[in-house]
Amino acid sequence: MDRLVDLAVSAVLLAGLYATMAYGLGLIYGVLRVVNLAHGGIIMAGAYLGWQMHERLGLDPYLSIPVVLLVTYGFGVLLYRVLVRHLPRGAAGGPASLLLLFGVWLLLRNVAYLLFTGNDQAITTSYSTRAVPLLGSFVSLNRLAVLGIAVVTPVALHLLLRRTYLGRAIRAVAQNADSCTVVGVDVERIYAITFGIGSALAGLAGVLSATIFSFNPAFGSGELLKSFVVVVLGGLGSVLGTGLAALILAVAEVFAILVLPSYLTAAVGFVMLVLVLVLRPGGLFGQRVLG
Amino acid sequence: MNAPPPPSLAPARVAVLFAAGVAALAALPMVAGLSPYTHNLVTLTFLMVSGALAWNWMGGYVGQVSFGHAAMFGVGGFVAARLLLLEPPAPAPLAWLAGGLAAGVFALGAHPTLRLRGPYFSIATIGLGEASRLVFTYWEGFTGGSSGLSLPLDPGTKYRLYWWGLALVALVLAASWLIRRSTFGLQLLAIKADVEAAADVGVNATLYQDVVFALSGVVVGLTGALYASYFSFIEPNDMFGFDRSISLVLMAVIGGVGTIAGPVLGAVVFVLLRQYLLASYPQLYLGLYGVLLVLIILFEPLGLSGLALRLARRVRRRRGSPAGAAA
Repeated sequence: MDRLVDLAVSAVLLAGLYATMAYGLGLIYGVLRVVNLAHGGIIMAGAYLGWQMHERLGLDPYLSIPVVLLVTYGFGVLLYRVLVRHLPRGAAGGPASLLLLFGVWLLLRNVAYLLFTGNDQAITTSYSTRAVPLLGSFVSLNRLAVLGIAVVTPVALHLLLRRTYLGRAIRAVAQNADSCTVVGVDVERIYAITFGIGSALAGLAGVLSATIFSFNPAFGSGELLKSFVVVVLGGLGSVLGTGLAALILAVAEVFAILVLPSYLTAAVGFVMLVLVLVLRPGGLFGQRVLG
Repeated sequence: MNAPPPPSLAPARVAVLFAAGVAALAALPMVAGLSPYTHNLVTLTFLMVSGALAWNWMGGYVGQVSFGHAAMFGVGGFVAARLLLLEPPAPAPLAWLAGGLAAGVFALGAHPTLRLRGPYFSIATIGLGEASRLVFTYWEGFTGGSSGLSLPLDPGTKYRLYWWGLALVALVLAASWLIRRSTFGLQLLAIKADVEAAADVGVNATLYQDVVFALSGVVVGLTGALYASYFSFIEPNDMFGFDRSISLVLMAVIGGVGTIAGPVLGAVVFVLLRQYLLASYPQLYLGLYGVLLVLIILFEPLGLSGLALRLARRVRRRRGSPAGAAA
């Protein structure tokens, strides 16, 4: 029984991280219809940024979040303006944008190798090993903090999309870009901003992961796939759906330990990905337009 | 990515050129006295060319970009290796063939993903490929787990692999050409252009994709099987690795997706780049492929073969225009 509670608690904590990873991918796909294969690379970059600021400036990883958000936002806008803008959209552009962004990912990985070598790194703070009692089991303080941020993030995203002019413009562009041009929305600018926000969310997921896991330049490929599972499972654009989907994935992964050898639990996400894509390509909770 | 123009050479000329090319390559080791290093490098290139061409059937003709072909490469390699490790060992060609067929059957397991299109298909293949890698690495009884399998070293077989590889390339090239020229090939291009419209004119997209995926799987499996004999040591994390799937994608894209010359050219460039970059700048080779991908997608979607076509056209125009003015 105790074991089950432990597992449930760690599933919930993990779900927060998974949801944070997925928002960026879902937002960019929802608005631009482009699968950002560089997503995993930006997660990795976020992890390294947080680590560098902790190593060099002694900045607490949670305090470095604003900087990481800003840098990865800028990177996303640049990526859109310099590369993604020139690609064909929709079904015809599918393979092209996939391959292009994959190229960007390879490049990011290589840059990380050059700067920081291929060694595993981790952010270790004074409270890294601290744990607090919760529901009769001990929970790492870091994981709790990550969960807290993971709860705040979708609320902020929801408010941004629902309550601000920018958010309304983003949702309008997702629905019908041509009509937006007619009423004077600068569609290209909205695309660039959306790509920036999506990348910033990936960067955030990166720093948060770095406080819990060790990482190297290849970090991010598993994260990309998990984000994809969550996005597909949750249906596009639904913030609540994304959260629930993240929970389902985390529960499946964590509880797989009971029936599968630990080595194979990593395969759970991949198998779920294929099953969901094949059985419910519209997501478990149906598709909605952002918000 | 627009459909490239169909091969324009007349069949007879193509057949002669093709036969001459294969004969020349077959005679090369005897005539030129290749060093063992070059001999093996050419063998490896043959294997990669076959793999890239077979990937292109799916990625180029049907337009379904697979990031999971390593699964078939691995199955082919390990089935062949197991048969070669039997006591007494199976004859090598039979073991390779069995590897290829097993990979083809394994590829049919991807059937449910084939009704997905575009990025959904690509991502699903990443999932399938990675799941295969984990399962086969875990299945120590079959693959030896992460310590892999060692095959008995046999310099004679490795030397002869050159011609087996060449035969495979010739076969796959001929098959690519036939597919591209046939109604079947046109139907595949129709699926690529618009699945629903293709269905309206009676093209059974799912069935055709199954056929192409299985055929592609057989060839990639054969490639994996020959590769197992070539290296005489195989390890599931490498054989089923994501990097291996990617390398097939890269070769086809660098050379030119959907063309026949493309994957050939791409594989040659890929093997050479890899050989030299890994030797002198191991820290740069991933990024170089990244830059190549970005540049190709932005400026020349048909890759190196598109570039070659463009150059040829420019040369022809330059040569043609003064003559035209004179007449």
